[in-house]
Amino acid sequence: MNKPITNLFTTKKGCMLTGMLFMLSLLHPLLLSDGYAAGLQEVAEEAQPFWLWQFLGRLHPLAVHFPVSLLLLAAVLELFTFKNYRSSLRPGINLLVYIGASTAIIAAVLGWLLSTQEEYGGDTLAIHQWSGYATAFLGVITLAFLFLVERKKQQTFVKPYRSILFFTAFGVSVAGHFGASLTHGNEYLTSVLPWNQDNALAQSGSKFNFVSLRNDTTKLSEAQELDLNGQIRAIFAHNCYSCHSAEKIKGELRLDKKRMVFKGGKSGEVIVPGNSGKSELMRRITLPHNHKEVMPGKGKKLSEHEIDVIKFWIDKGAPWPDVADGQSVFRVAKLEPRMPALPASKLQSPIDAFVDSYFKKKKTAWPEVVDDKTYLRRIYLDIIGLVPTPEEQQAFLQDTRPDKRAIWVKQLLNREDDYAMHWLTFWNDALRNDYTGTGYITGGRYDITSWLYKAIKTNTPYNQFVKELISPTDDSKGFVAGIKWRGTINASQRTEMQAAQNVAQVFLGLNLKCASCHDSFISDWKLTDAYAFANIFADTTLEINRCDKPTGKFASTRILWEELGTIDSTAISAVKLQQLAENLTKPANGRLYRTIVNRIWAQLMGRGIVEPVDAMDNEPWSQDLLDWMASDFVKNNYNIKELIYQIATSKTYQLPSVGIKDANSLIAQDFEFKGMLRRRMTAEQFSDAISSIIEPVFADTALHFDPYNPDKHKKVKDSKKKKEQKKVVKLVNDSKEEPANALHPNMTFVRASLVKNNSFLTALGRPNRETVSTGRDSRANLLQALELTNGERLNEVLQRGAETWKQKYPGTDELINELYRRALGRKPQPKELKVAKDVLGEKPTTEGIQDLFWAMTLHPEFQLIY
Amino acid sequence: MNWNRREFLKRTSAATLAAMAAGAPMTSFLSSCNKKKTITSKADTIILLWMAGGMAHTETFDPKKYTPFEKGLESNRVLSTFPSFPTSLDGVSFSEGLQSIGSVMDKGTIIRSYVAADLGHILHSRHQYHWHTGYEPPQTVAAPHIGAWIAKELGPMNPVIPAFIDIGQRFTVGEGEELKAFHTAGFLGNEFGPFLIPDPSQGLDSVRPPVGMSSKRFERRNQLYNDLISQSPVGEFGSDYQKESLKRSMEQAYILLNSPEAKAFDLSQEPKEIYDIYNTGRFGLGCLMARRLTEQGARFISVTTEYEPFMGWDTHENGHTRLKDMKKQIDGPVAQLIKDLERTGRLDRTMVILASEFSRDMLMEGRPGAKVLDQVDQPDVIQDIKNYGMHRHFTDGCSILMFGGGIKKGYAYGKTADERPCKTIEKPIKIDQIHQTIYHALGIAEDAHYVVEERPFYTTPDGLGKPVMELFGQPEKA
Repeated sequence: MNKPITNLFTTKKGCMLTGMLFMLSLLHPLLLSDGYAAGLQEVAEEAQPFWLWQFLGRLHPLAVHFPVSLLLLAAVLELFTFKNYRSSLRPGINLLVYIGASTAIIAAVLGWLLSTQEEYGGDTLAIHQWSGYATAFLGVITLAFLFLVERKKQQTFVKPYRSILFFTAFGVSVAGHFGASLTHGNEYLTSVLPWNQDNALAQSGSKFNFVSLRNDTTKLSEAQELDLNGQIRAIFAHNCYSCHSAEKIKGELRLDKKRMVFKGGKSGEVIVPGNSGKSELMRRITLPHNHKEVMPGKGKKLSEHEIDVIKFWIDKGAPWPDVADGQSVFRVAKLEPRMPALPASKLQSPIDAFVDSYFKKKKTAWPEVVDDKTYLRRIYLDIIGLVPTPEEQQAFLQDTRPDKRAIWVKQLLNREDDYAMHWLTFWNDALRNDYTGTGYITGGRYDITSWLYKAIKTNTPYNQFVKELISPTDDSKGFVAGIKWRGTINASQRTEMQAAQNVAQVFLGLNLKCASCHDSFISDWKLTDAYAFANIFADTTLEINRCDKPTGKFASTRILWEELGTIDSTAISAVKLQQLAENLTKPANGRLYRTIVNRIWAQLMGRGIVEPVDAMDNEPWSQDLLDWMASDFVKNNYNIKELIYQIATSKTYQLPSVGIKDANSLIAQDFEFKGMLRRRMTAEQFSDAISSIIEPVFADTALHFDPYNPDKHKKVKDSKKKKEQKKVVKLVNDSKEEPANALHPNMTFVRASLVKNNSFLTALGRPNRETVSTGRDSRANLLQALELTNGERLNEVLQRGAETWKQKYPGTDELINELYRRALGRKPQPKELKVAKDVLGEKPTTEGIQDLFWAMTLHPEFQLIY
Repeated sequence: MNWNRREFLKRTSAATLAAMAAGAPMTSFLSSCNKKKTITSKADTIILLWMAGGMAHTETFDPKKYTPFEKGLESNRVLSTFPSFPTSLDGVSFSEGLQSIGSVMDKGTIIRSYVAADLGHILHSRHQYHWHTGYEPPQTVAAPHIGAWIAKELGPMNPVIPAFIDIGQRFTVGEGEELKAFHTAGFLGNEFGPFLIPDPSQGLDSVRPPVGMSSKRFERRNQLYNDLISQSPVGEFGSDYQKESLKRSMEQAYILLNSPEAKAFDLSQEPKEIYDIYNTGRFGLGCLMARRLTEQGARFISVTTEYEPFMGWDTHENGHTRLKDMKKQIDGPVAQLIKDLERTGRLDRTMVILASEFSRDMLMEGRPGAKVLDQVDQPDVIQDIKNYGMHRHFTDGCSILMFGGGIKKGYAYGKTADERPCKTIEKPIKIDQIHQTIYHALGIAEDAHYVVEERPFYTTPDGLGKPVMELFGQPEKA
């Protein structure tokens, strides 16, 4: 390696190199010593590395330009000498190669120094580093061949020389590219491409192009300042809030409020208005990609464009008009409906057509649809909340009609009472309707079960359903009436505000809870918006309370989106509610319908198109699918059963279920749809499955709401209420049920949705319905397992069941087969049969059967909807 | 069996704890934002002794001038219906009937200046909700019980002992629904909710195989369960979190129900002379169970005298007579609990708190200046002993005892007036301070919170409460 170089000393051309190589040779022995390298590392770990190495290291970015330009130029010129090696260009090319190769070595050494001195790391660095070393090595070989050709006059080496030179030129380009990525970021090149424009800016709807103003020294107009600030806040919100806002304040820096932005963080001010060069924020966002202090520290780096906007903003004096807070930095979903055109697809169902185009974009192939047995169990549990009986399964498997899946879905939807008893649970959770609980004791809460059950059963059009809840009759007033707690309560929890919050959450997928105490930090909703909305539910105009402190101010009376219509603030509340009901359910309110189709989708598919289902401003994984379904729902006269039918018969619903390892990924915003997500049965589905397969879980007397005798429910309710109202102070427990009549012949057992909450159902996840609840936890936990393992109820039910089954199925094989058939819809496999038989023996005992039941009901294959 | 358990613990306790700390789908709104601050914890375990129903401070730990009963006694003359006696803590006297607790008062701190919230119309269930969650009901999301917060933040001490155990409250008695509203982990998720033992004398039933099932059969049943799963084609579901959590929780339950730790729930194993001291009823036995649980590694235990309207401390009449009985219920067990914990060295890492939702007075309803509806007719002149007692609700001065977990030994904090209204006149302390003091002892940062429905929800409202540092350390020697 030293040979050609030492020979160069004799040439004039080598003179320039001599100096550089001298420097290199000084370093050379030091670099080889381990002790030195270790020392260097130690130094690097301390706050201040030795200045000289650091200085030399930082010469790397400068030094690299020599090999890059010289070697590339040499390669290009070499092309012109193909016909005549001894062209007049030869001396020049040789010089370029000599200097280029030597500087490549120097650059490589300096680069190595830099990497040890400063905080770099990661893949890009590794690629850059090794391609750099390779280039330096190739440079030396080029040099060697050139030397052979020039000095030893061996013309046979011309070809190898040229090949190696071109390799070297290629290497230097690769190394250079990754080096630039390190310094300027990955997206430096690609980000300016028109199809890669940054979303945050696109969302903020920028009105003027700051670039055109870059060299303009005139002051920005007020509108321009406002717009520029909006862009800045959008960049902050999408890139920085996760660590620097009210929720998480890293380095004591907050970027969500004007005052805090200019106050700075732990290390002082981060923005020096008018001087981006002195602004810490600017320094941090422009640091090399892998630098320890670069911001954002996690996730996507800022694009060059965003950095330019911030620089421009700071240099313009960092304008932040006080009215700027009116500008949105949050994603806001469109209110109006939208009917996207159906994408071209071979698939019949529009849902599938949209999913097809989604899959194409994601390069996902359609898997095979599930088999009949799996499909049947799914639609049973999803539509009526029960597992199919073996007879039903048999009939389905034997059904040879090509469209039998659709036919059976329709049949299930027509089992009105079974359907209603299942969906009652979903709506009870969402509408906060329960049979017992806080508020009933003093008549401060109203049960709407009779109304609700009927509405579900008769498939009341959803717009009508919402209208009757918002502008209620006596039977449906429980939802907007809320829960009246005794004593003084926080102003944000007065019943009118509860109604505003709950209507917003359940029907509009909107969180108004923040804004009912103070201007929201997570959306653009203001305290006055929440009060204006709550005023609709009030008899008088409510005084605005900020964080429970009266302000002496009053809001107007209006809907959150004024374009939906006006409310007569002088009218009595019944009239206002009627106006609200009419205005909210207009087809123009796309949000109402997107929210419900998303909820139903989530019920059937395990996850919404938008998640969380109560945050409809979030981005759907397919806007087109959501929009189409919502518009189609309106077109179909707000028909929930039709919607369920559409989903359940789509190919999309029939895909194999997908599992997720981590529950948190359920609501991740980068979720990718691949098929229905596996879920655990709800408390009610689980309980009903045991009731139908083994033995009723609840005694007939536990029936609280009798769907076949709803009037009785109402009477009991009323008489109880009167009784309770009389007792102002004397609060006597009234746990005794009125004796129940025999069950209606259509009911073979008491379904769990119709009984009062109890410790068994609570442990399995039935919520305390004092607040709205729109999703169940699918994860098991210890308390639940304890309830299932030694809880009295399950134990006792299984014991009773075992006694019955013992009489009914005296043979061991018969019994095991029957249980598998009923519970899992299949025969036991030989190994399963053996395991079960080992426990049961030839003559099954009650205890043995009971234990087999227990193992079966806790079996994941039994508990999961897959 | 033992091998199994040990092996399992070794293999899974870390994973279990990690899993317990992870969010569930509903709770996945809960991105934890908690800064890892370095608070050196002073305690591992909390025992809350709950005096349900409103314990009158002037009749218990903050006695005032004693006026014996006589016919024709004017109500406004009566501040205390018991004589007082000096405790082991200099300058601090207790009301007669609490001699045992008085004898251990030099081992802890008495707070005499707790001021309950102003919730208007006085209601036990709402004030209890407020005490246990730190939030005034109702809230827009379900607020977690302090025990649930602790379970969520720290997990169990011993993976097989539930982190949050609630002893003594039945929910079938009056206002059960209102009580359920705060005996919950709320938005933190069921997993962190209370493990309920309504009756400590039946506590073992909660943690052993179902009644009538031999341990052999229990084991066989569990074996069957595992075998069926391993034979089933369900393996194709891979490692779904639902499936995994189901299997894991079942294993945990099995371990707990079979573990030597479960004997903590078995009070019959206690020596008779100790058992007898504790056996003053369900509350006393609850104290004993709490002590036994601390020996196996418990995190948060609440033992209540049980709230039932017009029962226990909720004296709307016959206050004097009934308090004699209430004191008997608590005096021996509470004192013995402190002594036992100290004797075994556990008091250093166990904080015991005795508290009530508010106090009572003979005449004042609520607090001075805040007019609320009187709920009890109290005659101006007492003719009948049934009117002799503290029958109205008083929120402006309540007593709290604290022992262990770094709390000063032999210290009195705050003061109430010696004349009616016997309200707080020095160092008022509120619920968020009490909670933060407890969290601080456990090493939980003041601003611990989770984001639920996109909003931060703190352990105390807006994360504003501060621990009262004065309660920790060694009292200055006079």
